[in-house]
Amino acid sequence: MTTHLYNRPTKYLFPILLFLCFSFISCEDFVEVDTPNYLLSGENLFNDKKTVEAAMVGIYAQLRNSFLLTGTSQGLSNMMALYTDEMDYYGNSTIREASFYRNNLLASDETVAELWSASYNQIYTSNAIIEGVAGSSNFTPEETAHFTGEAKFIRALLHFYLVNLFGEVPYIKTTNYLENQVAKRQPLAEVYASVITDLEEAINHLPEEDSSGERVRPNKRVAKALLARVYLYMENWEMAAILAEDVINNTAWEADPQRVFLKESTGTIWQFMPEFEESNTYEAQTFIFQTAPPPARALSAHLISAFEEGDLRRELWIGEVSDGVDSYYYSAKYKLLPGETGNAEYSKVLRLAEQYLIRAEARTKMGDIAGAQADLNKIRNRAGLANTTAASESDLLKAILHERRVEFFVEHGNRFFDLKRANQLDDALGSIKPGWNTTDRLLPIPEKELLVNPNLQPQNPGY
Amino acid sequence: MKNNYRRSLALTGIFAFFLTYNSPIFSQNLPQKNISGNITDGADPLSGVNVLVKNTARGSISDLEGRYSVTASPNDTLVFTYVGYKLREVAVGSGSLLNVTMQVDATALDQVVINAGYYKVSDKEKTGSIARVTAEEIENQPVSNPLAAMQGRMAGVNIVQNTGVPGGGFSVRIRGRNSIRADGSEPLYIVDGVPYPSQSLGNFEVSTVMGDAQSPLNGINPNDIESIEVLKDADATAIYGSRGANGVVLITTKKGKAGKTRFNVSSTTGVGVLSRRMNLLNTEEYLAMRREAFANDGIAEYPAYAYDINGTWDQQRYTDWQKVLLGGAANYTNVNASVQGGDAYTSFLLSGNHRKETTVFPGDFEYNKNSVLANINHTSRDGRVEVRFTANYVVDDNNMPTTSMVYAALSLPPNAPALYNETGGLNWENGTFQNPLAALEGKYLSQTNTLLGSGSISYRLFNNFTLKSNFGYSNIALEESSTSPNTIYDPAYGLDSSFSSISVNNGERKSWIVEPQLEYKRDFGKAEISALVGSTFQSETITNLYQYAYDFTSNNLIYDIGSAAYVDILASSKEEYRYNAVYGRVNLNWAEKYLLNLTGRRDGSSRFGPGKRFANFGAVGVAWIFSEEKGIAKTLPFLSFGKLRGSYGSSGNDQIGNYGYLDTYQGNGFSYQGIPTLQPTRLFNPSFGWETNRKLEVALELGFVENRLLINAAYYRNRSTNQLVGIPLPATTGFPSLQGNLDATVQNTGLELELNTINIQNDNVHWNTTINFSRPRNELISFPGLETSTYANQFVVGEPLDIILQYNYLGVDRETGLYTFQDYDNNGEITSPDDKKKVTRIGVDYFGGLGNNLRYKNFTVAVLFQFVKQKGYNYLYTSALPGDMVNQATEVLDHWQNPGDNATTQQYSAGFNSDAYSAYGRLLGSTATVGDASYVRLKNIALSYQLPLKSEFGLACRLFAQGQNLLTITDFKGLDPETCAQQLPSLRQISAGVEIQF
Repeated sequence: MTTHLYNRPTKYLFPILLFLCFSFISCEDFVEVDTPNYLLSGENLFNDKKTVEAAMVGIYAQLRNSFLLTGTSQGLSNMMALYTDEMDYYGNSTIREASFYRNNLLASDETVAELWSASYNQIYTSNAIIEGVAGSSNFTPEETAHFTGEAKFIRALLHFYLVNLFGEVPYIKTTNYLENQVAKRQPLAEVYASVITDLEEAINHLPEEDSSGERVRPNKRVAKALLARVYLYMENWEMAAILAEDVINNTAWEADPQRVFLKESTGTIWQFMPEFEESNTYEAQTFIFQTAPPPARALSAHLISAFEEGDLRRELWIGEVSDGVDSYYYSAKYKLLPGETGNAEYSKVLRLAEQYLIRAEARTKMGDIAGAQADLNKIRNRAGLANTTAASESDLLKAILHERRVEFFVEHGNRFFDLKRANQLDDALGSIKPGWNTTDRLLPIPEKELLVNPNLQPQNPGY
Repeated sequence: MKNNYRRSLALTGIFAFFLTYNSPIFSQNLPQKNISGNITDGADPLSGVNVLVKNTARGSISDLEGRYSVTASPNDTLVFTYVGYKLREVAVGSGSLLNVTMQVDATALDQVVINAGYYKVSDKEKTGSIARVTAEEIENQPVSNPLAAMQGRMAGVNIVQNTGVPGGGFSVRIRGRNSIRADGSEPLYIVDGVPYPSQSLGNFEVSTVMGDAQSPLNGINPNDIESIEVLKDADATAIYGSRGANGVVLITTKKGKAGKTRFNVSSTTGVGVLSRRMNLLNTEEYLAMRREAFANDGIAEYPAYAYDINGTWDQQRYTDWQKVLLGGAANYTNVNASVQGGDAYTSFLLSGNHRKETTVFPGDFEYNKNSVLANINHTSRDGRVEVRFTANYVVDDNNMPTTSMVYAALSLPPNAPALYNETGGLNWENGTFQNPLAALEGKYLSQTNTLLGSGSISYRLFNNFTLKSNFGYSNIALEESSTSPNTIYDPAYGLDSSFSSISVNNGERKSWIVEPQLEYKRDFGKAEISALVGSTFQSETITNLYQYAYDFTSNNLIYDIGSAAYVDILASSKEEYRYNAVYGRVNLNWAEKYLLNLTGRRDGSSRFGPGKRFANFGAVGVAWIFSEEKGIAKTLPFLSFGKLRGSYGSSGNDQIGNYGYLDTYQGNGFSYQGIPTLQPTRLFNPSFGWETNRKLEVALELGFVENRLLINAAYYRNRSTNQLVGIPLPATTGFPSLQGNLDATVQNTGLELELNTINIQNDNVHWNTTINFSRPRNELISFPGLETSTYANQFVVGEPLDIILQYNYLGVDRETGLYTFQDYDNNGEITSPDDKKKVTRIGVDYFGGLGNNLRYKNFTVAVLFQFVKQKGYNYLYTSALPGDMVNQATEVLDHWQNPGDNATTQQYSAGFNSDAYSAYGRLLGSTATVGDASYVRLKNIALSYQLPLKSEFGLACRLFAQGQNLLTITDFKGLDPETCAQQLPSLRQISAGVEIQF
């Protein structure tokens, strides 16, 4: 092979060197990418009131759309109604709702795992807002107070539901994952103490009236109403009565039972706004059916028979479908399906009626029988029923529990929580639910959480 | 088919050979005459064949029509040589016309040129571990995805087809799972030098019918592939640096061949059916189970919703739902046409392909794939400039139901009502029956347009240096939608089209790459040095829009999102990925005996945070061809080839999402009070870096009896450190995981054997056998702090990554009739995680393939068996509670009824016995759900007959028949041992076709 070129390589040196220079440019700059325009950095988020607002309402959208408080089938309204004696399940036995209905939840149940993780995800966002706003100098004291108040209210609300579903749970107050990944289950008293602290701060921070004018954002009254319920669950009758009274005195009563679930209903303390104008509530989609037998779920005979003769709620809030032989019932509290127009409905989270019944119960316990009867009658009279005949403490408590059952049926698991705190779960459900066990008073801690955080041990009994 | 593309390479090689051939002994003084003739391979003319008069320097090269002429005397011998063919010597004799037929030399190791990515190497001189399948093997199989064509054919490459639904995904593991992350072990795909995404643009929430996202490789037409090479060890993969940790799959498309302009048309049609089914209860058995279940639960009056036994449904009725819902025949048609030709300087190829495939589901569904491949190659007259350009355009059109029907086929009670009523409409049995065919009202539609343009320009500066640049552009656009019209519901519900909805996922990936390189090659007598330096600039933009629209005024408008009353944008993003690298290779070949190969790469990726972006990777490979040593050749004369090779080095892995190091918020498509909402994207960690994989390999390659028996044995040990993972976190942190590095080491070791034999070889018969065998082993060798980490209940040091911690199943208690499990903590209760302590290994133990190719005259047969020894989830893993309103495998018949019974299934329960349900729930997390999933599969039979045509136009015609997945031998309890999941198994396909060439 000829080598003359090898003898005079200098001629080619220049292009080679040029090429090498090009090749070996390994540019730090080239692999630098900007934050893409569909993402907003955490730093920028807390520079602007509008973006913090977007993160804040993100929590309400999530609460409305999924888990705990949603009106879709995954929410407590449906799941816990099936879990107790309010509804029967007619659908496919392999669908998750069947496990709630048959009270045979496993620790590996996906719905339970999602209830848990979705709630803690929303708690994370609340904490991120609390920390982000505190660390930013871009907001006025009012703005800071407002965001902090809402975030703390949400944090308290979610932990309150979690502690009642799962028992001892970690109360998460930071975004620091190093701390949160080894979070321990805290005694009930500690969780409740934190709920109260957060709600009290929320009451301090929140405005009297929310900016929306539609009661779709928490204000002082909303936090007080929740705190009244918290004290009720804690059996702190005095505080429950004081807070309920405060709410009652500052909220107009809705006298027409046909208007209770309308968006303008005066008895509303806090409600979720639907995504769009006419998308209406998820509750209507979940509960209403038009054929018999029902495709998925229907109110149980136990609930239907619980209504007294002449109860307007039986007539106005319950729909009926018959196949000619049998009749099936559904909750018609919300009537508008997506796209339908009429008297617009919003999904209620806190209603004034509950505050009356909270005060009634507290007054009973504190010996104010007449006051308790008056509160109870407020609810009964609106439903077209005569004044209560209950006069003793135990009769009144029974009457109030009954009234709560027919007033708040299929609303956010009220029936379950009431039976639980009255210690009547076994009596009420043991005989009519073949799968019921005493240990079903708590949901299982999701198995996958136990696998990654041993501090959550031990599992709740029975799972 | 012949590997004719080698022809162009041969031209240059032979030219060099000519110049260096120096033994000019003059021939005797006999009268010289002109000898001419045609050279063919039996069918086609061969151009570029080197013709030499033995013992002279005289010779010539055959032209495009295979003609040659040379001057020689009658005593002379002509020597015909051509790359990939056996050398032929023919005595000249008295005549002047000498036609020669060349025979393919399947055993010529130095003639098999392998694509190693940035460079090519002969099989003989390679220092790394590279497996290969060729066009011939691919075309023998009636498959639509190149990955399907690789199954069972390559040692160390384990491919699982996840579903039999056309367009579905595959799982590919090259030498095991390197990453603790389940999803970080995808290989790097390179098509004609351009990186091709291993991640689908598809969304598994939309393509529910496949159980997973679409396969990204749908954009490559198997018929367009010339060869697929899989790079496995450090020596071969280190030049791909950060992306080579999990192996590299190089796909080379066909190139135009010089010569007479040739047309080729082939057409195949076939049919596919379900390859396996389960034995389920018949009506009598099923109803007996249900009655017993309610009796066991103490429920005398059947509930209103137990339609199967409370008298609502006909209890005499029986339907084999597997037959009705999955028993159809999928038709398959493939038509391919191509034209190619050119001269010694310029060649071209134009190829088009149409493929259509229907499904086994009832209803009208089909998968269409249309593709065009255009290739042009040019070499300048002075040989200095070489240009190659290939454009590949594939339109992939999939129309499927939204569900695969597998679940319905296995679970519907056998006495469920008829599908249609008297009037031919769907039967809803008065609202008691969720008709499975209703799901077919919903459609999954997808269209993917894949454009790949790639090319290279090289310029030979002078003999030793070549300047070269690869460049490429790819654009993959996917649009998929899944509809849920109101007609999927019982019309009695009175739902109108305002309940109709559609999910639409649009994704687009645009990428460009430029790779300037400089090659150096020089021969110093005994030593030959080749070197390469180059750099890569790559930029990729991925956009995604995932929308959900509902409430339409008419179902006819369902594909028009603008006609929906409501539209939620569930995801919208535009991501950018930048990648930059510098790499090099130095190869030293000493006397064709000692080989040294050094490769290295410095890489930067935008997926990492500042300061963590760049990393270095490198490898050294050595080989000793000891059969070239004189001493060994003398003592071991039966040894025709012997090579010992080894390599060590590192490569990396950056298969994580973009922007993981940023603290960000993003929209989720929802609004509240009219305000579009924002939510935190993730927990962020600004400081994660590369995962590194150190690979070691030792291999021995031996050839006997003129290489008619070739044995290739390799041992490898790969260690993957600084594991880049989404560390699982408890939900209390707000998120399920955090991106970060773990100080854990995963080791993959394994043994790979390849055996090729030529059993018979003569003019009429050629029979060869290939065997490949792989025995991979995976082990987590260190994980400091595992016990206190969130992985404590997932991994065990000293065990493979593919383990599950399970309840140890002990059988059915004879007294209680319930499943029982080992109580590890002796607390009287079976709870997780304290009693989930049994380590169960799943995954492959060994796998391989056995192929036989026989040619007798014009007739060829190719048969491939695939074998896999493995453990996997059996049917119990997805089974329902025995006694529930779901059909069951016949195994449940052996069940507990009375105290003292010894049974495999616990007492039936309708779901109201909490103890029975809990025991069933634990069974799903127990060792009972894992079993032997080994199988031997007759993967492929291909028969072909070349018609003995004598035509002036070179007309050739071939008839062929092919079968895929014809037979599966297995003890697996479940639907399909390949997927071990409730997915449609790969179909059994039979097809026939014809190929005409002129």
